[in-house]
Amino acid sequence: MNCELAHERIVTAAYGELPDEQMHELDRHVHACVECRTEREQLLALKVLAEANPVIEPDANLVARSRQRLEEALDALPPKRWYEWLSQRMVNNFASLQAAPIGACLLLIVGAGCGVLGGYEVAQSRAARIAGQQTPVAQTTPEPPGGEIANISSIARIPNSELVEVTYNQVVPRRRQGSLDDPQIRRLLMMASQSSESTTVRDDSVELLVAECRAGHSCQAEEIRDALMVRLRYDQDEGVRAKALEGLQPYVVEDVRVRDAVLEALMNDGDPRIRTSAISILEPVESDTSVRQVLHSVANSDENPHIRTVSREVLSRVPQFQ
Amino acid sequence: MTTATTTDGSGRGKAGQAGLSTAEERAAARAPEMELIRQAQAGSRGAFDALVRQYEHQVLRLALHLTGSEHDAEDIYQEAFLKAFRYIGNFRFECSFYTWIYRIVTNLCLDQLRRKKTRREDRAVVLDNSGDEIDVLASVSDERSYSNPARELDRKVLAGRIQAALGKLTPRERMVFELKHYQGLRLRTIGEMLSTTEETAKNTLFRATKKLRTQLAELRS
Repeated sequence: MNCELAHERIVTAAYGELPDEQMHELDRHVHACVECRTEREQLLALKVLAEANPVIEPDANLVARSRQRLEEALDALPPKRWYEWLSQRMVNNFASLQAAPIGACLLLIVGAGCGVLGGYEVAQSRAARIAGQQTPVAQTTPEPPGGEIANISSIARIPNSELVEVTYNQVVPRRRQGSLDDPQIRRLLMMASQSSESTTVRDDSVELLVAECRAGHSCQAEEIRDALMVRLRYDQDEGVRAKALEGLQPYVVEDVRVRDAVLEALMNDGDPRIRTSAISILEPVESDTSVRQVLHSVANSDENPHIRTVSREVLSRVPQFQ
Repeated sequence: MTTATTTDGSGRGKAGQAGLSTAEERAAARAPEMELIRQAQAGSRGAFDALVRQYEHQVLRLALHLTGSEHDAEDIYQEAFLKAFRYIGNFRFECSFYTWIYRIVTNLCLDQLRRKKTRREDRAVVLDNSGDEIDVLASVSDERSYSNPARELDRKVLAGRIQAALGKLTPRERMVFELKHYQGLRLRTIGEMLSTTEETAKNTLFRATKKLRTQLAELRS
């Protein structure tokens, strides 16, 4: 230990702040060094001298006066406003963050991690979207379910690409089973009676409707009667027309429109059998002037001799009916 | 002669310090004070008044001894506690409240010493509130002075010389010597109060004692 260091340690030791191990070392040095021994003596003398300027306790009046003055000053202070409290809280929070560098670093790392992860997810979804746009629709759109394509509604080409969008309607076969009294079945039979694709379907549907009307099962609906009249007038299949005529027979007396449709069939239908059936159906209403005129006309001028004969026979019975 | 109570960084005497051997005990002892600080931070004037009463004697004692003027001590007291009231929300319990309030007071005293230094108003007497000089030594009870008037006169002369020697220290040296010699604080606490290191405080104390010994050398001879 040199003397310079010893002088410093003498001061530290004099005020009781030198560690024990250094104290022993200092004691050995001072014991052997006259200069340092003098230094220590002078310092101890200074400590004694300094006691001549003692610390005095403040006077009670001074304390009371100071306290009163402080209280007055505190009372005069304006109350803190909300933004002062807020700014103080913010400063404290910021200072706390500064005082916790590890926490701040962790926060930074977590924030950066979230940012990277979010960016990766966005990039992935964007790449998937771009890839989806470059794939033909035929590969991404599932194959249409079984069934015929009814028609093509529209065709549109996507600009600046090889892609084409085709909108189409598809006929999907369905099957329904139910009673003839079922309104849904009734509706399907009505649609079938107007079907243009299949004569068989029309024939079968008209036959069923006629049978239903004859059986008296809720056949008062006029739409069936109208459907039969349409079939009688315009259907190209004679079998359908024949069945429609058969179905209209019960209504020829009560419904003038049905009577007119039957008269039209008698005059214009190309099938002699249908015209012959029409004459027989009209027998109950031969007293009707229109019916008699049509029968006279047919009896005198029809090309078919059988038709003429039947008509005359019917007209010959008119007086008997009357 | 009255001397200052020797205190450590927590504001208790050595006897009290000896009784508190563990950090847990010290923390438990400081719990009521911490509660007062929290209440004061929340705006409780009563809690702040309690803190003032707890530390006002120490503040006045330090200011009075350093400045030698009751008027200056009163001003420092006022300004220190007003600052404490204004900024107590910034106190974050990283040090003791004692260290925090002493830091405010020492800064104010240093400013006062620097102003005094420039005015060269080194006085061996203390001014009272009205500005009149009062004899500090006369106000100190010392039974020896009554028994020996000649010795008492010598002591007054000596005290005057010591105050003059202290006045020739730099404000920082004066402050470190004051806090170490008269207030009995540890060097580490002094470093905290002056916002410096323990080593710097030790070096400053060493310089202060060396200067004082030079100044007072003739008194020893």
